Amino acid sequence: MVEFNLRLTTNSAEHSGSYRILELPPDIHKLIDSTFDGNAGLSIKGNKDEDAVLCTLDKTYALRSVVLSNSVLVVTPPVDASGDPDTDVVIQDTIHEVLELVPTLPRLQRLNGMLRGREYDEGHDEDEDIVVDDSNGHTRSRSKLTYDDARSMLQASELELALGLRDRHILILDGELRPLASSYLTAILEFLLTALVSYSLSHHSAPTEQVVTILEQDHEVRSDVTRQVMGWFGEFGEDSWKMNVAATVREVGLGILRAFRNEPIVEDQFLAKWRAAVGDTFESSVDLILLLGNYLTNRQPLDETAPPLLTYFPASDLPSDPAGRFADLFLTRARWKAEEISPFLSDIVVDNKERDKLLLKYARGITDSQGIWYTARAKQG
Amino acid sequence: MIIPINIATSSSTSRLPPQFAQFGTDEVVLIEMQGALDVEGSPDGQFVGKLTVDDETKKPTLLIGHHLLEGKLVNLPKPLAVMHRGTRNSADVAEDLGEEDSQSIESSSNAPSWDVVAVVKRKMVFAKRPMPMVGR
Repeated sequence: MVEFNLRLTTNSAEHSGSYRILELPPDIHKLIDSTFDGNAGLSIKGNKDEDAVLCTLDKTYALRSVVLSNSVLVVTPPVDASGDPDTDVVIQDTIHEVLELVPTLPRLQRLNGMLRGREYDEGHDEDEDIVVDDSNGHTRSRSKLTYDDARSMLQASELELALGLRDRHILILDGELRPLASSYLTAILEFLLTALVSYSLSHHSAPTEQVVTILEQDHEVRSDVTRQVMGWFGEFGEDSWKMNVAATVREVGLGILRAFRNEPIVEDQFLAKWRAAVGDTFESSVDLILLLGNYLTNRQPLDETAPPLLTYFPASDLPSDPAGRFADLFLTRARWKAEEISPFLSDIVVDNKERDKLLLKYARGITDSQGIWYTARAKQG
Repeated sequence: MIIPINIATSSSTSRLPPQFAQFGTDEVVLIEMQGALDVEGSPDGQFVGKLTVDDETKKPTLLIGHHLLEGKLVNLPKPLAVMHRGTRNSADVAEDLGEEDSQSIESSSNAPSWDVVAVVKRKMVFAKRPMPMVGR
């Protein structure tokens, strides 16, 4: 039998509320175990008006509090000389809740607002002072946003932020974040495709510097812009660039599709335009699958046998909160097939399980001979 | 705002006695009990109760006032990190972030941070009703 004296801390005022318990998912547990004192790349991010998240170097987790019915005492050896470490054990704090970590998508939506007015387009070679009207009707210069600003203001991990900037085609020019105008991006990609063909360069391994020079001289594209665009749409080797054919063909297709937001285009005509834009070498990669989540198909009204009509309808323009997203989707179309609606949900869910949970919550599923259809849920009273 | 989390699982100088540490780690043991401790007078340093661990059965008992609690070791389904809030002065934080000046740090003089002081996979739980002890 061994006996210990359980005592309260000598410094209750300072220690009360200074402890928290956090339930660890396996990957974070492993991360902490492999770090011996110091920095494991973990941090908590958020402003006072946001729900806090925990970020590792590559993932973001929402923090959820679970209240305990019991009390949990945090017991440690005595501090300094305030007790005998062989017999005294000290309660530092009493805890009534446990924090849980739930994997969540990085929160990057604020980027759009933060970067409004800072687009980079053809001919923007000098650093202009963009002047905007604020809500008081006064004009002021829009302040620049740097990578560090974005990192400290957004609830995302380092890797997710970098990938987010890449996916949104945001350039880093002179230390500042500048979204590349879509029309200019499509033009630059077409310059790249033309350059590869005109100068007989292989898209598996094109000499990077030569490509950059060609675009600078023939098309007046800044070299740092070309390099970043090449980085988004391919991989660099030792002074060589391997183009990501699918991503490039996709973006060129999107560029053409953007003109057809209000007026549809016949699918066959669209595919022909797309093939012409990418050229013979890459024609075979043209496929509507690349554009899932960005278009709607509709049967031609008087002719069931004619090829369908396409309209530009990007998921990125829809609300990012689930209720808003589903409301917009069902306003656009009263009922959706499962395969049709999924691409318009993939940007707001972490995985298929979460997508199915949202479908269960916000839609009504009906199965018939053609498959599963989703319609809006009637509003609950 | 970014609040860094430091891993400080092995930086404590003192250790818990081994028969007690087996219910947690060398630095921290979590004791779960029903209800809450009612403290009279100044809480600082006050004696709460006698904790006994039977060498053979490893069963812990806790005698608080007239209450005798019987407990046991419970393995946790998921490990728990015990975090302790620390405040570092703004000069340290500025150095870590590589800032020349502290303008972008919170205006309060102490930037918050948290240390993970232990990762526990077990806890000591007193779940049974206490038995009143009268006399001894």
